Formats: sequence, C-alpha cells, structure tokens
Amino acid sequence: MDYARFLRLRRPLWEDFSRRLEALRDAPSRQAGNVATGDHRSRDRRRGAGASSYGEVEELAFAYRQVLHDHALAANRFPGTGAARQLAALALAGSRRLARRGAAPGGLRHFVFQAFPAAFHRQLGLLGVAAAVFGAASLLGLVLAAVQPGLGSLLLGPRALAGLAEGRLWTESLTTTVPPAVASSGIATNNLTVALVAWSGGVLAGVVPLYLLILNGLMLGGVIGITLRYSMAGELLGFVAAHGPLELTLIMVAAAAGLALGRALVAAGDRPRAEAMRQAGSDSLQVLLGCLPWFVVLAVVEARISPDPSLPATLKAALGLGLLLLFFGAALAPYHAAGNGASEGDGPRR
Amino acid sequence: MADLDRESILALDNIRLDLPLAGAGSRCLAGLIDGCGVAVLLILWVLLCSVLATWVSGAWGLAAGVAGIFLIEWGYFAGMEIATGGRTLGKMALRLRVVSAEGAEAGAGSLLLRNLVRDFDYLVGVPLMAVDPLARRLGDRLAGTLVVHEERQRTVLLGRVPPGWSAREVAIVESFLARAGELRDAAARDEMARLLLSRIERDAPELLAGLDERRVDAPVGALRQALAAEEG
Repeated sequence: MDYARFLRLRRPLWEDFSRRLEALRDAPSRQAGNVATGDHRSRDRRRGAGASSYGEVEELAFAYRQVLHDHALAANRFPGTGAARQLAALALAGSRRLARRGAAPGGLRHFVFQAFPAAFHRQLGLLGVAAAVFGAASLLGLVLAAVQPGLGSLLLGPRALAGLAEGRLWTESLTTTVPPAVASSGIATNNLTVALVAWSGGVLAGVVPLYLLILNGLMLGGVIGITLRYSMAGELLGFVAAHGPLELTLIMVAAAAGLALGRALVAAGDRPRAEAMRQAGSDSLQVLLGCLPWFVVLAVVEARISPDPSLPATLKAALGLGLLLLFFGAALAPYHAAGNGASEGDGPRR
Repeated sequence: MADLDRESILALDNIRLDLPLAGAGSRCLAGLIDGCGVAVLLILWVLLCSVLATWVSGAWGLAAGVAGIFLIEWGYFAGMEIATGGRTLGKMALRLRVVSAEGAEAGAGSLLLRNLVRDFDYLVGVPLMAVDPLARRLGDRLAGTLVVHEERQRTVLLGRVPPGWSAREVAIVESFLARAGELRDAAARDEMARLLLSRIERDAPELLAGLDERRVDAPVGALRQALAAEEG
C-alpha cells in the first residue's frame, strides 16, 4: 500500500477516533477505564458522560485497536512521516484514556479491611526480620551501656546525665517547655519522616531500613542501659509506656516494608525484576499508608498523655498495650484474598 | 522536523506502541522548575504561618508551620501528579506527563509510590535514567511508570505522492511544509520549494498540471497544491 492510498483509506477513521476521544475528555477518566480491554462493568456509570451506550463503547474500543494497528504499520512502513507521528500521538492519547489497566477496587473501606491486611500478611516474614534486627541491636546497646559508661554522654549529652543524677528525666524539660500543639506536630512529622525514610530507603537495596533499625535499636538499648545505671529505668518506661510499643512497632513495620523493596531489587526470585519491584512497591506502599494515620494518633498520645505526671504508669501501659492490640487487630484482620487487588493473595479468608 | 526519541512498548494485543519518552535532560529541567515551585510554596507557607502566629496563636502558628512544611516537602509532587493526571508545574511547562508502562493513565497509587522514593532518586536517579532505554528512575521502576512528551507538533499529510518516493522523502517534504510558515528567510524557503517542485516534475509531471504560474509566484503554495497537502 502506498502512502497516499494509506492516508485516503484510513484517515477518516483516525479523525473519527480523535473526535470520540475529544468527546470522552469531558468525562472523568475513571468512567472511561478499561474500554479497550472490553471491561464494560462500569458502562452504566458512563451513560450520559463520554460514551453513552454499549454500542458506542464497542465502537470506541474497535477504533482504538484499528488506530494501534495503523500506528504499528505506519511506524514500520512510513517512519518519520506526518502520518506516523500523528498516529503515534493518537495511539498514545487513546492508550492514556482507554487502556487503563484494571483499576484496583477503591475506597477507604476496601483499603482498611482488604488491601492493608492483605499486604501486611504478605510482609509478616520481613517484619520478623526487622524485629530480630531491632531486638539484637537493642540488646547490644544495653550491653554496651553496661560495659561502657562513656556511652551515656555520647547518647544523651552531659546535661541529661546531670539531670539523671538528680533524679530527673531529660524528657521533662522537652515536654514542659514546648506547647503541646507544637510538640504533637513536631513528633508526628518526625516519626512520619523516619517511617518514610525507612520505607523509601529500601530502594537502596534495603541498606537504609537496616541502618535505621540498628541505629534505633542501639539507641533504645543504650538509653535503657543508662537509665538503669541511674535507677531511672522505671521512670523512662513509665514515660514511653503509652506511645513506645506502637511507635517502635510502626517503625519496624515501615522498615520491613522498605526491606521488601530492597529484596525485590536484590533477589527478585523467579520473576522478572521489574515485575518483582512493582509488586513489592504496591504491597509495601499499602503497608506504609496503613501505618501513617497511627503516627498522628501517637503524636497526640506522646505530647498529651505520656508526659502527664498525674496519670499512673499502669494506665499509660494499658493505653500503650491497647493501641498496639488495635493496630495488630486491624493489620492481621482476615481478608478476602481474591479481592486484595495487588496479587494473588494466599492469606486467610473471612 | 526533529523527531522525539522513541522507544517501543507492547500495547493492547501485543501491538507495538511508540512512546515519545522524556530523557534525563528534560526531566531534570522539569524537576528544577518544580524545585523552584516548592521553594515558593514553602516561603508562602512560612509567611502565612508567621501571620497566624503573630495574630492568632504562636503555638498553633508554629504547629501549622511544621505540619505544612512536611506536607509540602513530601506531598507536592505526588499531590500535583494525582490532581492533574500525571503532571507537575515543571512537567506542564515542558509538556511532559507520567503514564503507566502500558501508556495508560497512571493510577494514584503509582503516582504516590514513584514520588515517595524521590529523595533517594536524587542520589541514583539521573544515571539510571541516562542508561535505561525507557529513561526510568527507581521510582518509575517501582511504580511501573514512564514519563513521555505530550506531542502537539503540527503535521502536514500528503494526499498525493510521486511514484517511487520513499518514506524518508515524504517525511522531508511534510516537515518542510509544516515549518514553511515559520521560516524567516523567504528566499531560501522558496528556493527549497522550487527544488522540490523540480523533483516532482522529474518523477510525476502530471501532478504539476496547471501550476506553471504559481510555481514562479508562490512555490510553497504550488508544492502544497501539487501534493494535495493538508494539515494533519
């Protein structure tokens, strides 16, 4: 087929497809989804928008396929010509509007009850690894604090050590000099930043989450060891009882999600690396998003309840335990494996 | 007309789809523009919170300032791309758009994912984009996204082509006719048109029937008429 004949025969179809795309532009893209792949589940919602009837949707999908075919032919037979360029732009515009991959079921309810627990279950093994690393680092920090008294001034500074010697925790000054609103905001953004960095740092082969786990573990163990030396460990544990358990758990969960990214990069297994990374990215993002709201709750607890001396430590500990149970209750809730939207789930069914 | 760098992916039915991929250069430039946008937003937010702290409450002004800075730093790129279907200010300026690896509109989850790892892509993203045929940084690989140029090039299509002309010759004539109106040197433009007309006279003189007068006065118009050229 020569170029002029190709244009004469096929150009009306391209113009028709272009007009249909223009008409569809006014309709929300969500409504246009999956036309090309023949998924017409949402055709009723599309009525009155871009494509108004089943027949029009079918015609649009057919026209899209023809444009793709013409584009492939033009790119091969007439490369660099105006027709090839026009078809490339039209095929891309059509793909962008129509070939949306089957969108995952949306909605907050689906995320909370299906997507988040499903993704959390898939990363439980790595959460175990993160907890083991953190636990080992904490133990090491505790031992180091016991055998190296100089560690105290390194971790806390001389002023905090002087306060400990007088029977005061350094946390008192932090909570009495900063207004609660500022403290909440600062604590929330700080913890969220740590979680985001622990997760996103996983793209560097998992090095950053491992570093953060070890660093935080060493610091926790070291600080507990130092307060034990000054017989102030009870006061410190009383301070962290309300927010500490969940806060540390969330950091470990975020780090585990980061390790999942690193694992996909380093050891993709029998899947193509690109596919492994996409799967790990989707799963770990859902885990991370499921954790983020809890950091806001924790910030309020840490700024308002933890420093309150009028509240007994047992109450704070009960609150801390309650928050932890609530989180794990939500994360380990049974879910419908088929509806997780990310991959073939192998988790428990409701 | 300079064509954009293209790489093929397999679209529906495994049909080849050429994507006008954005390379490291244009993406870095877009990132620079966005960086300026973020800086302006941060300055405006700090000023707003200063006013709030002065006139309403110091504590709440500071609290809002800290929270807002966090949200702008972590949320600008993802928020903009989700709100505009894959574009930020920088991408709008350079006519770039994020699409899925299938060329489709990228979902909110993908856009969020590719932007939350942005900090680490500042370390390794540029060399990765430079060596990858699809110019993907780490965030793109995780989210399964690509960044493409949104083409709005003027095209001219030839309704008649002399026998024996290859696609390359057609492309040259179409490109010339698409740009003819923008060429400042009218003499050189007309000279080029006359050259092309003489080539047509050699290969298909019947296409020039009735155009003798126009060939002299308005060679570009004669060329358009001879080849039945239309705007695409």
